[in-house]
Order: sequence, then C-alpha cells, then structure tokens
Amino acid sequence: MKPNTRSALTLASPSIAWLVLFVAIPCLFMLLMSFLSTGIFGIQFKFTWRNVEQFVSTPLYGYLLFKTFRISIFTTIITLVAAYPVALFLSRQHGTLKTVLILFLFLPFWIGNVVRTFAWLPILGRGGVINQILLDLHIVSEPADWLLYNDFAVYLGLVYVYLLFMVLPIFLAIDRIEPALYEAARDLGASGWATFRRVTLPLSQPGILSGSIMVFLLAFGAFVTPALMGGTSGIMYSNVIATQFFADNNWTFGSALSSVMTVLVIVFLAASGRFVGLRSVFLSRAEDPR
Amino acid sequence: MTYRANESRTEKALLWGYASLVYLFLYAPVITVTVLSFNDSQVVGLPLKGFTTRWFMVVFTEPELVAAFANSIMLGILSATIGTALATLLALAYRRPFPGNGVLFYLIVAPIILPGVVGGIILLVFFGMLKIPLSLWTTALTAHVTWVLPFSFLSLYPVMHRFDHSLEEAASDLGATRAVVFRRIVFPLIRPGIVAAWLFAFSLSFDEFVRTLFLTGFERTLPVQFWYMVVESLSPEAPAMAVVIIVISVATSLAGAMLSRQRT
Repeated sequence: MKPNTRSALTLASPSIAWLVLFVAIPCLFMLLMSFLSTGIFGIQFKFTWRNVEQFVSTPLYGYLLFKTFRISIFTTIITLVAAYPVALFLSRQHGTLKTVLILFLFLPFWIGNVVRTFAWLPILGRGGVINQILLDLHIVSEPADWLLYNDFAVYLGLVYVYLLFMVLPIFLAIDRIEPALYEAARDLGASGWATFRRVTLPLSQPGILSGSIMVFLLAFGAFVTPALMGGTSGIMYSNVIATQFFADNNWTFGSALSSVMTVLVIVFLAASGRFVGLRSVFLSRAEDPR
Repeated sequence: MTYRANESRTEKALLWGYASLVYLFLYAPVITVTVLSFNDSQVVGLPLKGFTTRWFMVVFTEPELVAAFANSIMLGILSATIGTALATLLALAYRRPFPGNGVLFYLIVAPIILPGVVGGIILLVFFGMLKIPLSLWTTALTAHVTWVLPFSFLSLYPVMHRFDHSLEEAASDLGATRAVVFRRIVFPLIRPGIVAAWLFAFSLSFDEFVRTLFLTGFERTLPVQFWYMVVESLSPEAPAMAVVIIVISVATSLAGAMLSRQRT
C-alpha cells in the first residue's frame, strides 16, 4: 500500500467504522427483521414470508405507496415550475443585493420542518388568517374547513418546505453560464426567448436534475408535513410505517414496510445516476445545511 | 454586465413581481407565528386580542420545556462536536483520491438519502435487538451524530479542496515534518471551515425531529416536545415556543454561513 493511501484510510477509518456500525449493519438488521414475525410474546426469531404476504394482500399499503409516489412526482414538478423563475431572478442580480436576496432565501429553510409546517396551521386553520380575510370580505359566512387536511394542503406544505432544494442547484447552474454566451446569442440576433430556450435552459439542465432528484427524495420520505397538514386521509407512506412502531407495536411488519421504501429509494437513485453524476447532486448543495 | 441588455423591461418587472410573491410565501408563515406569539389569547389564531409576553414566560419557566431546551442544546453541542471531528478527518482523507473512495462516498451520504423514518427505524431495530434501552445520550446521540456527519463532510469537502496545495509542498520542501505542516499550514487554513461545519451541524441536530422521535425514550428534545404540544392539544404557548426555536436555528445557521463566506 502506498503511504498516501494508508494515511487516507487511517483518516477515514473512524467515520467508516461509525457508518458501518450505525448505518450499514442496522440496515441489514431491518432487512432481517422484515422476515420475522411479531407474536403476543414479542418477536419470533423464525424465518417467515408473512410480512410479504400481508403487504401484497392488503391493498392499503400498495395504495399508499402509489399515492406517495404520485404526490412526490407532482411536488417535484410544481416545485420545479415555481423555483425556476426564482433561480433566474437571483442569477440576474448583482453585488450586495444578490448576496442579501440569497441570504433571505436561505433563512426560512434553516428552521426545522416541524416548526415551519406548524406555522401554516394558524394561517389555514379555522381561526386562521385566510379565514379571517374571507370572513371580513364576506366571501364566506362562517370559517371554511377545506383549507387544511387535504391534498392541497399537503402539496402546499411540501412545496413550502422543499422549495430551496430546487432553487439552489438551478441557480448555481444558471449562475455558472458564461456571460459571453449571452453576448454571442444577442450578436447573432437571437431574441430573449430564443436565448433562454437555446442557452439558459439547456445549460441549467444539470441543476434541474439535481434539484428534482433531491425534492423527489425528500417528498417521498415526508413525514411531518402530511401528518400536520394532511389529516387522517392525507397520510403518506412514512406515516403508515411510523404507525407500526408507535401504535401497533409491530416492529417486524414495520421493518418490512421500511425495507420496501429503502429498496425503492435505492432503485430511484441508481436510475437517476444514469442521467446525472450523483456526487455532484450532493456536492452542489454542500453550503446548505438541509 | 453586458448580458443584462438581453433582459427586457417587462421581463425584469415580471421576475421581480414573481420573486416578491415567492418571498412573501416564504415569510408569511414565519411572520404570522411571530405576531401570534405575542397575542394575548388562549386560542392559537386570530383575532388579535392584545399584546403580551406571557407565552414567552411560560416557555422559559415550564420545567418540561426548559428541560427539553437544555436537552436540545446539549445534544446539539455533543453531536456537532463528534460529527464534525469525524467529518474533518474524513474530508482530509478525501483531499486525494484513494481506492474505494467512490463506494465510500455512497456510504457517507446514505443518512441523507434514507428517508427520515427509515433512518430512525434502522437504529431503533438495531438497538432493540442488542437490548440497549433508548435514551437521549445513547441512542438519540448516535442518531444525531449519524445525521450531521454527512452534512459536515459535504461542507468541509470544498474547504479541503480550495486551499493552495503548493503551500504545503513548500513547507515540506523546507524541511517541515507532516505534523508541523498540518499544525502550522493546513489547520489554520481549514479552521474557519471547521467552525462553520460545526455550527451547521449544531443547527441540524437542534432541528432534527423524525429520527429523534423514534430514538429518544422519555427525555424529549425541543422539536419532539413541540411536536407533542401541537399534535396532542394545540397549547397557546406553541407560537412563542416556535419563535424561540426559530431564533436559535437561524442564529446558529447564520453564524455558520457568515464564516463560510469569510474563508473565501
């Protein structure tokens, strides 16, 4: 072994040990647990296909998985459409104003999900701001209930919580475009729209991909937003997994459900890896905490 | 810059208008909660019934809340310290390619990729099988270090690649040992980056919720306490507590961001 390699591995070894012990091995434990069953005396250490059968035979789980997938796809699309102009806007600013605008974009995203999602309740709730406005304008005669606890509220919450993860990589991609390219496009007589379509949009594609992968993953695993804003009918896959542990005390089936989710996430990432370098997905958001 | 000539006046107006709406969307909930935290009403919501600071008094005196507050701060300090120490060594290893660094990268970002619920469950199952009881300072701390480690690493990675390697070479050509090179050249250059990574890690740990919910046992952190406060019965002091959490998260992240700007 070359001395450089040895010193690199020595430096990396504490983290490798930590990640193997507390990520890799626990993942295997979860996978093993998926093939055990829970009896009245606790976990029975005997191999069984029971959880797989239960998953396949109960429509609820497949339905929730599909619903979660659908919500994640739509959230990704909505976030992309909402974020792109913001990224474009930021890339066209200069100097201190640009720094300040970026800072103020980051600020709300430094607040944890629970608090940030909670903040919507006094806006959308029965005694909330929107209802007060609707009442004052005599648009409704009594407080509306339909603002919260439905799919609309979940989408709103998810877009709110994950918008930055789309704006940031697109902004970084647009910001890296050589000004000379815009000049060339103008000199060759391209209109604003043609320049956007032929220069800006293609060159921002890596950012679009990075952002979409990130937002999809985050939405797919969403727990807090559907729980607080979705109500009982608005729950997503993560919520039903948590129920197995907090209410039903069925760790083996809960492990099976979360193994399914983990496998899907890995498949999704492996598939995305064909279009974009996954390393860049993570390193482009290095400056950002969440 | 020259390319701005491509931007027409209407385009500029449209972008400004749209961006203002997005910023309004981002800040409306934060502003609402802040206003409501001073509202002298037993119910969370409108109408505004007068100004009071009593909800903040409740937050700072209720023993359960004070305990959760102390737990979160301590857990944040511990996990940021352990996580950033591990991540610093790891990022130093990544200064040059080494065999297996590609595969290892996936293991490093695994805690970010795994959905939060899964991140909690794998450790719950792991500690459960080993019969290790749940507590803040064992199981929850482990989860927090695992959670902040990849983010610390990702924020330190560019720091390690940014500085001029010829400085190191010059020092060793002049006869400095590796230890001296590290202490006198490398460490002073990366120190602001390490402090910034620590602050981000603290803020991440301070705000962590789902994994903690699975792993904390009886002692609660601030987000977990806040969660139960919202889910079980919406207590009137909830907005005040939210404001306290917001101030701490934003202040630490802001300090981290300032530091990571400075080092360039």
